[in-house]
Amino acid sequence: MGDEVYSQMVKELKDGKYVFTGELEPEKAGDVNEPIEMARELVGLVTACNVTDNPQSMAYVSSLAASYQIQKETGMECVYQLRCADRNRMALLSDVLGAGVLGLKNILALAGDHVSLGDTPDAKPVFDLDSTTLIAMIRKVVDEGKDLGGNEIHNPPKLHVGGAAAPGAAYLQAEVAKVKRKINVGAEYLQTQVVYYTDVLDKFFNELGKVDVPILVGIFPARTFGQADFFDKNVAGVDVPPAYLENMKATKAIKDKEKKKEEVDRVNIEFFTGFLEHLKGTPAAGCHMMAVGYPRIIAPLKKVIE
Amino acid sequence: MIAQEQKPMEEILGYLEGKQKVVVMGCGGCATFYHTGDKKAVGEMAEKLRKEGKDVFKIVLPFSFQACDIEKSGVWLEKNREELENRDAVLLMSCGDGVQVVTEYTDEKMSITKPIIPANDALGLVGGGPKKFKETCLSCGMCELGKTAGICPLTSCGKGLMNGPCGGVRVDDKCEIDEEKDCAWVKIYKRMEKLGELDKFIEMRDPHEWSKAKRPRLFEIEEPVGMDMIGAGLGMLTYKLGPKPKLEE
Ligand code: SF4
Ligand code: SF4
Repeated sequence: MGDEVYSQMVKELKDGKYVFTGELEPEKAGDVNEPIEMARELVGLVTACNVTDNPQSMAYVSSLAASYQIQKETGMECVYQLRCADRNRMALLSDVLGAGVLGLKNILALAGDHVSLGDTPDAKPVFDLDSTTLIAMIRKVVDEGKDLGGNEIHNPPKLHVGGAAAPGAAYLQAEVAKVKRKINVGAEYLQTQVVYYTDVLDKFFNELGKVDVPILVGIFPARTFGQADFFDKNVAGVDVPPAYLENMKATKAIKDKEKKKEEVDRVNIEFFTGFLEHLKGTPAAGCHMMAVGYPRIIAPLKKVIE
Repeated sequence: MIAQEQKPMEEILGYLEGKQKVVVMGCGGCATFYHTGDKKAVGEMAEKLRKEGKDVFKIVLPFSFQACDIEKSGVWLEKNREELENRDAVLLMSCGDGVQVVTEYTDEKMSITKPIIPANDALGLVGGGPKKFKETCLSCGMCELGKTAGICPLTSCGKGLMNGPCGGVRVDDKCEIDEEKDCAWVKIYKRMEKLGELDKFIEMRDPHEWSKAKRPRLFEIEEPVGMDMIGAGLGMLTYKLGPKPKLEE
């Protein structure tokens, strides 16, 4: 990390606080009311929330617009996710400058899923930059006030950039080498893809060795069986444990709404308690809780770590 | 070579609607290789069109005489000027390159303007064979292979990343986009490891310079290639008598 601190999230990470982040998902809609509602519930529970950018290559409300609106209406600090799949380097730069103008302080630079996996499969995939070159570009913009071509940027934005890591990657050595590459070019923090298995996490930290950027480990407590199942089937590089899926599936049979909620919460707390207790003993600097549409689970899970 | 496959008959017939007298022209290059423009393919296409009630005239280009090489295909076009003049359309059984070279030549040099209709879809620059082929190069104009252990990041990686792998690599090191395909970046990693160049893997490669591929690209050589008959004959002999390469079944 550089010396400057522009955001609350980076401040807390630098101060060595254990940081929790959440996740908000703008949808295919003409408003962002739902993520705003959810952000309201998360204020005080998490330090910042990621705002997804066309997740799984579904074309949704722009993450830039959503991040701005959410931050403005709720005061929740946003981590603006920005993917290379849909924009060339010019559009990426425009959006990064725009993010600065709109007062966003954190960007998570991603390559993004391939467009063919989403709801607009005939779109032309862009990938003009990749996550590493996007991180490098943002650091150049912020630190040197220059774009990729070396052109001067007047009054450059002040924001932080982080990258993703995939501890469950099929070929871990290559993944770890890539993560180190991201750190070398200036990633200030890492947020990992969802992890379910403690041994996967340990292997990842072992292979990575000591690095001096904070790592927030991703977990995904699902609100419904459908969500968990969708994740298992559609999210590249993630396998949801079969036992957890089974237990979530069993909740489908419960008719009474309140009882069902209670049981879903119980399954999640039971599964994630063990994982989070283990997480405390790892070099992780915090936990990225991707409980999309499921804010009530955050407080009981936080308790495990605190 | 440019891999290709024939378009669905329905689409071809759509283009030929209202066009009764048709020339079907083949290609002795890549299209012969992929059975989309050889003598047999031209014959079969002619048969199908006749069954649809069309009046068909065939132009077959012999092996190694490509539609896109106008010095050669031009001979067959000139030889059949009368047919071309009197017909409603040409169905060209080559890649899009051949279609456009023939269109430009007939328009500009023969003053014959006819619809020249593609029969095939070109699928990319591929290598390998004799049966299985793989797209390996986009002809990007600024080759990156020196930085990626000889495996093209733009073509072989599903996302064309200069700094992979992405987070989506599947079990058995398959690509996020297609489980039939290998992740190019895992291959690059393994090859660099064998070459003792992993330090290069961790280094960031700059974004690709797309300015080197301003389309359409024009290209010129000083000396046109001559037909080396003796060389070709000797080559054929070596091909017949030389050691056989190990081939995939
Ligand atoms: S980098 Fe890839 S696409 Fe470009 S010339 Fe080399 S092999 Fe071809
Ligand atoms: S899995 Fe590998 S080849 Fe496929 S898009 Fe990702 S990095 Fe590229």
